[in-house]
Amino acid sequence: MVGLAAVILDQLLTRRLLVLSGKGGVGKSVVGSALALAATRRGKRVLMVEIDTPAVAEAARYLGALPVGRKETEVLPGLFTVNLDPAQVMEEYVRHTVRFEVLARKILDNPIYHRFLAAAPGLKELMVLGKIMMLEEAKDGWSRRPRYDLVVVDAPATGHGLSFLKVPGAAAEAVPVGPVGTNARRLLALLRDPSRTALAVVAVPEEMAVVEALEFTESAAAEVGIEVVALFLNACHERRFTAAQEAEVLRLGADQARGRLADGSSLGAALVAARHHIRRRKLTQFYEKRLRQAVELPVVSLPYLFQDEIGPAAIRLLADRLEAA
Amino acid sequence: MRDRIGAPAARKLALAARERRILVVCGAGGVGKTTTAAALGLWAAMAGRRVLVCTIDPSRRLATSLGLDRLLDTPKRLDLSRLAPDSRGTLWAMMLDTKRTFDTLVERHTSGAEARRRILGNRFYQQVSSALAGSHEYMAMEKLLDLSKDERFDLVVLDTPPTRHALDFLEAPGRLMGFLDASVLRWFLKPYFVAGRLTLKVATRTGAIALSLADRFLGLQFLQDLSEFFLAFEGMYEGFKERAEKVHALLRSELAGFVLVASPVRFTLDEALYFHRRLRDSAMPFVGLVVNRVHPDPTRSQPTDRGPRAQLAADLDARLAQVLEDQRRLARAERKSLARLEVDAGEPLVLVPELEADVHDLRGLREVGGLMLAEAGGGSSEGKARRPRARHGG
Repeated sequence: MVGLAAVILDQLLTRRLLVLSGKGGVGKSVVGSALALAATRRGKRVLMVEIDTPAVAEAARYLGALPVGRKETEVLPGLFTVNLDPAQVMEEYVRHTVRFEVLARKILDNPIYHRFLAAAPGLKELMVLGKIMMLEEAKDGWSRRPRYDLVVVDAPATGHGLSFLKVPGAAAEAVPVGPVGTNARRLLALLRDPSRTALAVVAVPEEMAVVEALEFTESAAAEVGIEVVALFLNACHERRFTAAQEAEVLRLGADQARGRLADGSSLGAALVAARHHIRRRKLTQFYEKRLRQAVELPVVSLPYLFQDEIGPAAIRLLADRLEAA
Repeated sequence: MRDRIGAPAARKLALAARERRILVVCGAGGVGKTTTAAALGLWAAMAGRRVLVCTIDPSRRLATSLGLDRLLDTPKRLDLSRLAPDSRGTLWAMMLDTKRTFDTLVERHTSGAEARRRILGNRFYQQVSSALAGSHEYMAMEKLLDLSKDERFDLVVLDTPPTRHALDFLEAPGRLMGFLDASVLRWFLKPYFVAGRLTLKVATRTGAIALSLADRFLGLQFLQDLSEFFLAFEGMYEGFKERAEKVHALLRSELAGFVLVASPVRFTLDEALYFHRRLRDSAMPFVGLVVNRVHPDPTRSQPTDRGPRAQLAADLDARLAQVLEDQRRLARAERKSLARLEVDAGEPLVLVPELEADVHDLRGLREVGGLMLAEAGGGSSEGKARRPRARHGG
C-alpha cells in the first residue's frame, strides 16, 4: 500500500499552521518534532512552537539541541524551535504598543500588572495565539518571502487545550471593538480556514487517551468551529511475531518453560516478555479499530519506542515512519 | 526494589487512606493521576470507609476510569455489591462544575437579590467564571471545604486538574485572589466608572496611561463590564479570602494528605521531585509518591535458566530474544531513574507495575489499588487476596 501516512503528511504539510492537541503525556511534542523533521526533509522551513514548556521537556532536546527558550532558534537545518513564555509575549506587546520605554517600564514594573496578567481570563492564551499568528505571517527582510513555510504548534493538553482554542472566539465576543477584537477575529479566521490551518489530535492506545481524543474532535468542531483533520496514535505496539508464533508463545506456558535461547537468556523470561507484548499488541489493535470506527478521519499509527527518554535517533525513526509506511 | 522499599511507602499511604479526611492527588498530565485517585478511593471504601472521589478534570476522565459515561455535579454512589458484597464502605464519585460552584459562592457572599443579579448577569463574569485562570483550582479548594464537613463521607479524594506544572494547583488560588483583590480595581479601573460616570481622573499617571491604552484596545463596553465586575466583587472579597485561608489551613493540617503521582518518564519524575520539595518547604502533609506503570523486568521473575538450549525455530528464538531485550533495557533504564528519584526525594516510592490490561473499570481499579497498597497488610481483604497474573514487578 502506498503509505497512508505519506498521503496524510502531504495533506498536512500543505497548510501553514499545524496545531497538535491531545491528553497530557501522549507524546504531542514527540509527534510534533517528527512532523517538523519530516517537513524539513521536503525542503520546508519549519518552526515548532511550544508554550511554557519546562526546559527539560523542550522539543529542541528531542532534536538533539539544547533548550532554546524564548528566541526562535535553528536547531537543525531549516528547523527552528521556540518556547513561548506568555509573560514575555505580553511584555513585547506592551512595549510595541506604548513605544516609550519609560512608560512601558512603569507599566511592566507595576505589581498590579503582574497580578492582572497572572489571572486575567484568556489573556495569556490570546497573546500567545496572537504571537503565533505573527510568526505565521512573518516575512523575511527584503525578499518578502514567508519566514516559515510551516508552523507546528504543540498546544496545551486537551481539557485545557480546547479552552485555549476557544479564547479567540470568546475575545471577539467580549471585545467587540478596537484592535484586540479585530485581532481576535483575524485569529479565529486563521484557525477556521482549512486551507491554512490543520488541527490534529495525538492519542495513545489506551482508554482514557482515546476517549479524550474523540471528545476533543467532537467539541473542537461543535464549540470552536475547527475540524480535526487527522489522528495520530502514538506508542503503538506493533506485531513482532507471526500469528503462528504468537500461538506457540501462548501455548508454551512461561511457568513450565525450561532452557535457554540462542543468546543464553532464559526462555521463561522471554516468554513472559512475549506474552506482555502480545497483550499490548492486541490492545493497540483494539484501539486503532475503535478510533477508525468512531471517526471518519485518517489515523496514523506510530510505534512504541522502548526508551524512557526520547532523543534525535527516535525522532528520525518516527519521521521515517511518517514518510514511508 | 519493590520488595525492599515498597512496603514502608505503601504502609504510609494505606494508613493515610484509612485515617485522613482528605487526600489531594497531584502530578503532571498523563501520569495516571485520575486512576490513582479512583483506585485509592476504592481501596479505602473496600476497607470500610465512606469515600467520595471528586474530580475537576474538564475532560471527564474520572467517569471513564470508573466505567461510567458521565459524572454529575452531585455525588453519585457506585455499586460495589459485586466487588465487595460484605463491605460496609461506600464509594461516591462526582465531577466539579466550576461555573456552578462559582455561582454558589457568589450567592453565599452577596447580600440581597440586586447584588446577586448584578454579578451573575455581568457579561464579564459569565465569560470568566469558568475560564478565569485558576478558577478550576480555586473552586476545587472551595468545594473541598464544604465536602470536608459533609457527614456522608469519611474521606474525600480530590483529583486535581491537568496542569502542565503540577504546582499550579497550589499556586492558582493565590493568583485568582490576587486578581480579585480590590487593589487591582483601585489602581486603574474603579475610578473610571464610579457611579457609572465616565471620568478620566485616575489616581496615578501610569494608571491613566494604562487606562487610555485599555480603552483604545479593549473598547468602552468591555471596560464597563469589567469595571462592574470588580465593583460587584469588592464586597465579596473578604469572604472569599477568609474561605481561601480556611482551606489553606485545612490542607496543612493532619486531616489532609498530598499524594504525588508520576510515571517512569524522566520529565514527570523531575516534576514530582520538585513538587515534593515544595510540599516539604511549605510544611504540607505528604503521604506518598506513587509511580505508575513501571515496566517490569521479565528476567527478575524468571531467573536465568541454565538448562539446555530450547528447541525453537531459529526465527522465533531470535524474535523472543529481541522482545526480551527491549523490555529488559527499558525496565533497567526506568529502575535507574527511579533509584535516583528515591535518593533525591529522600522518600521511598510506591511503585505500581504496568498492567497487561488497560484500567478503566472498578475491577481494574481494584487491581491497581491492590498493587499499590496490598503489601501494607490488613485493609482491604479483596485487594490482598487477588494477586494479579501480571505481577512480575521486580
